[in-house]
Amino acid sequence: MGHSIKRKEDARFIQGKGNYVDDIKLPGMLHMDIVRSPYAYAKIKSINAEEALKIPGVIAVVTGKDLEKYNLHWMPTLMSDTQMVLPTDTVMYQAQEVAAVIATDRYAARDGKEAVMVDYEPMKPVIDPFKALDEDAPVLRTDKEGKTDNHIWNWSVGDKEATDKLFETADVTVKEQMHIPRIHVASIETCGCVADYNKVENHLTMYMTTQAPHAIRTVIALVAGHVGLTEEKVRVISPDIGGGFGGKVPVYPGYVIAIAVSFLVGKPVKWIEDRSENLQADSFARDYHITAEMAATNEGKIQGIRFKLLADHGYTDAAANPSKFPTGLFSICTGSYDYGTAYLEADAVYTNKPPGGVAYRCSFRVTEAVHAIERITDRLALEIGKDPAQLRFENFIKKEDFPWKSPTGWEYDSGDYHAGLQKAMDAIEYDALRKEQAEKRARGEMMGIGISTFTEIVGAGPSKDFDILGIKMFDSAEIRVHPTGKAIARFGTKSQGQGHETTYAQIIAEELGIPAEHIQIEEGDTDTAPYGLGTYASRSTPTAGAAAAVAARKLRDKARKIAAYLLEVSEEDLEWEPGKFFVKGAPEKAKTIQEIVFAAYTNHPQGMEAGFEATHYYDPPNLTFPSGAYICVVDIDKETCEIKVRRFVAIDDCGNIINPMIVQGQVHGGLTQGIAPAMYEELIYDEDGNILNGTLMDYLVPTAVESPSWETGHTITPSPHHPIGAKGVGESPTVGAPPAIANAIVDALSPYGITHMDIPITPYKVWKVLKAKGVVE
Amino acid sequence: MRTTIKKDFSVEEPIEKVWDYLANPTKIVSCVPGASITEEIDDRNFKGEVTMKFGPVKAKYSGEIAIQELDMEAKKMVMKGRGLDSKGKGSADMVMNGSLNPTETGTDVHFSMEISIIGMLAQFGSRLINDVSDQLLNQFVANFKAKLAGAEEVDNSINAGAMMGTIVKNKIGGLFSGKKDKEQEEQKPKEEASK
Repeated sequence: MGHSIKRKEDARFIQGKGNYVDDIKLPGMLHMDIVRSPYAYAKIKSINAEEALKIPGVIAVVTGKDLEKYNLHWMPTLMSDTQMVLPTDTVMYQAQEVAAVIATDRYAARDGKEAVMVDYEPMKPVIDPFKALDEDAPVLRTDKEGKTDNHIWNWSVGDKEATDKLFETADVTVKEQMHIPRIHVASIETCGCVADYNKVENHLTMYMTTQAPHAIRTVIALVAGHVGLTEEKVRVISPDIGGGFGGKVPVYPGYVIAIAVSFLVGKPVKWIEDRSENLQADSFARDYHITAEMAATNEGKIQGIRFKLLADHGYTDAAANPSKFPTGLFSICTGSYDYGTAYLEADAVYTNKPPGGVAYRCSFRVTEAVHAIERITDRLALEIGKDPAQLRFENFIKKEDFPWKSPTGWEYDSGDYHAGLQKAMDAIEYDALRKEQAEKRARGEMMGIGISTFTEIVGAGPSKDFDILGIKMFDSAEIRVHPTGKAIARFGTKSQGQGHETTYAQIIAEELGIPAEHIQIEEGDTDTAPYGLGTYASRSTPTAGAAAAVAARKLRDKARKIAAYLLEVSEEDLEWEPGKFFVKGAPEKAKTIQEIVFAAYTNHPQGMEAGFEATHYYDPPNLTFPSGAYICVVDIDKETCEIKVRRFVAIDDCGNIINPMIVQGQVHGGLTQGIAPAMYEELIYDEDGNILNGTLMDYLVPTAVESPSWETGHTITPSPHHPIGAKGVGESPTVGAPPAIANAIVDALSPYGITHMDIPITPYKVWKVLKAKGVVE
Repeated sequence: MRTTIKKDFSVEEPIEKVWDYLANPTKIVSCVPGASITEEIDDRNFKGEVTMKFGPVKAKYSGEIAIQELDMEAKKMVMKGRGLDSKGKGSADMVMNGSLNPTETGTDVHFSMEISIIGMLAQFGSRLINDVSDQLLNQFVANFKAKLAGAEEVDNSINAGAMMGTIVKNKIGGLFSGKKDKEQEEQKPKEEASK
């Protein structure tokens, strides 16, 4: 632990030897391509496959009507909503799957897709989520019996009465309307699968891009059990994954169609999305409209918050949240500050847009929550004329007040917010920057400093509150140590680039004393790995990492018994140091773990079970609460309105650190995915439901060119309830960075009366607001 | 996505002659790049086709054109077209307003086109669609002028490659000059299209 050993998986990745879904080629494999709707809302009058079937290599065109015969034309979403696999009569969003073309090679499938003629009758779509709730808005989900509007659910938490009363009487209240835009995970690898149904064995092997292979196996069995694919007949293999970020948690129609076709024709079927299909049809994230309010005293003591949300889920609620929490863990929106009054109310609506939204590198809507609280905190600082750092220091929950109960029901495990912010301010030389800013403002130059001191909530989660489709959100580890003292360990999670093969090995090495290089880590094959709910929501270290530590400790207990037997002393006389047990006071009388393991197979005590294996399913007692203090400095050019991030300091507290280099890598990647929605990314739809930036030519994913030089550091406040005191870090930077950047830009523009800007903040938006204020021409 | 483009220009022809072209769908459609009339339903309603080719996307819209307003006195006409992509990849709607004013030397022509596109073509985003439409209208104007000047045939085919080149040239030219000189560029699409 705490060592920056090189990532074991990188040897194959940097040599191009990774094994991704598209690398899988099976004998007789067919290829599938998907015809998609150009309309956001239309009736399908007819689908004519005649021309497509004339193309050499095209063997079938599958429609919703074909799947309907087997009742496979629809599926449940992870939120217990329903979703079409292929439509039988109506399309609900642009780029929706309409028909599948099956061919002997990929090119024929693509040609076939172009040749399929679909006759549509377009209808007026509902695009604006606010208008979707109008009384005269057409009801979109006519497939749901008795549905009379486009409202999906209402959810609230906190004390409404006390909060309303506070806002009536408070000295100061501030309010901003915010939109956290619809964005996309845009992972390098798109989604895809190879469905391989063996008719003789009545067995399906499903190679697919999934972050949660075990849950997917259960879902497949639930959806296709009636045609004979019961759970023991289904094996899901998630090979190397080229980035997931939450986008590879849901089940997309393409997977189900591939399974259905393989089942019907008895041959393997490969489906790989192209870039535009991925961007247009899958896995959008965010799209929350938030009215954020904060109440405080004149002196700047925060007293309460009141948030109202509108969630635009598109055609169906295909989010990936724990069942009990339709708005995810947004209720962490109380932030890092000490007050006791909060009320949050959320509504969700259907629109004619692609369904979602997934938790993009964020523990279920935490990004939206953190953006709202950090922005409105800055808004308060501006209102009362207090430095935003000072305001935060005065309101932070104190180190000694943990565990701290939030007014929305969470128990924060630990934190030291003062230390984090102080460290960030020292690193960036905050006071000197404020002085520089004052001088520049006097000269009419625009420079801004933005702070974000966020608290995350990760590691879902304790079984009493957390499940997906009823399955509790524990996770698992199984360790087998071979006679020569080398080990293999398998997990219910699935790495998508996070470095599990290294960090899990380090945890086991720390607990058992077997060198990490001799511990093989495997995930992603449901036939071999123990059951678990997968990797997302920064949950791998908090759950499966903990399971590894506990399983290793079970083995250490067994090792102690064997050592006592071998050394002919009682167990109490033995002491452990990583790698060996020795007799107290006589360190030369020792048995190494390798000797002990060998004995477990060759000379184990009578009455003891042979072998050296352990499994643990870890049900966390609480979530973990990583935190961070980020400070960003921006300069805005008055002529071009170009925004330059001059410096960005990120101090993270993720508890005990397993591999500092991997943590730093995670933070760098996450910060880049944080600058993305802050300054570049947004999926834009026009009033007809056309996506206006459905390719990477128009949807701006930041590259190394756009990334500033990240300055990272950490404070360490261990989680008191996690076996190794770790908290999880993968998502902190994505969550914490956008408000730091937005706060810096608004700070730069605040002398001109600007109090808020919605992300992404582009030079054009800056120019527009400055022009409206008469600052620029 | 929706966009409106306007174009004003002058011709040295008497207003009645210009009106004769403007008010006659078969004549005016022959000037529209990629467009043709396939059937005359009555004197106000027609069936036609428009082909758009842009990079990898080719769309052929077939639909109906209707003359909604034909004001001989004020010399104003409104034409409305609606087409569905023949492969089910989207649809396009167009409203064209044309009006004429007499001048000392000839006629001022005012055109505006409101275009609304749904589907694949719309996904290119408004920036490109505006440029493409602008380019199409330039080509249309060039053809219109040529016809008025007595040309029997004009080239109303679409050449995506040439069009793209012109757009890029205009864009880059615009960066340096700050303003594109449309009159000067007008003839280019036709010249390049015929190469």
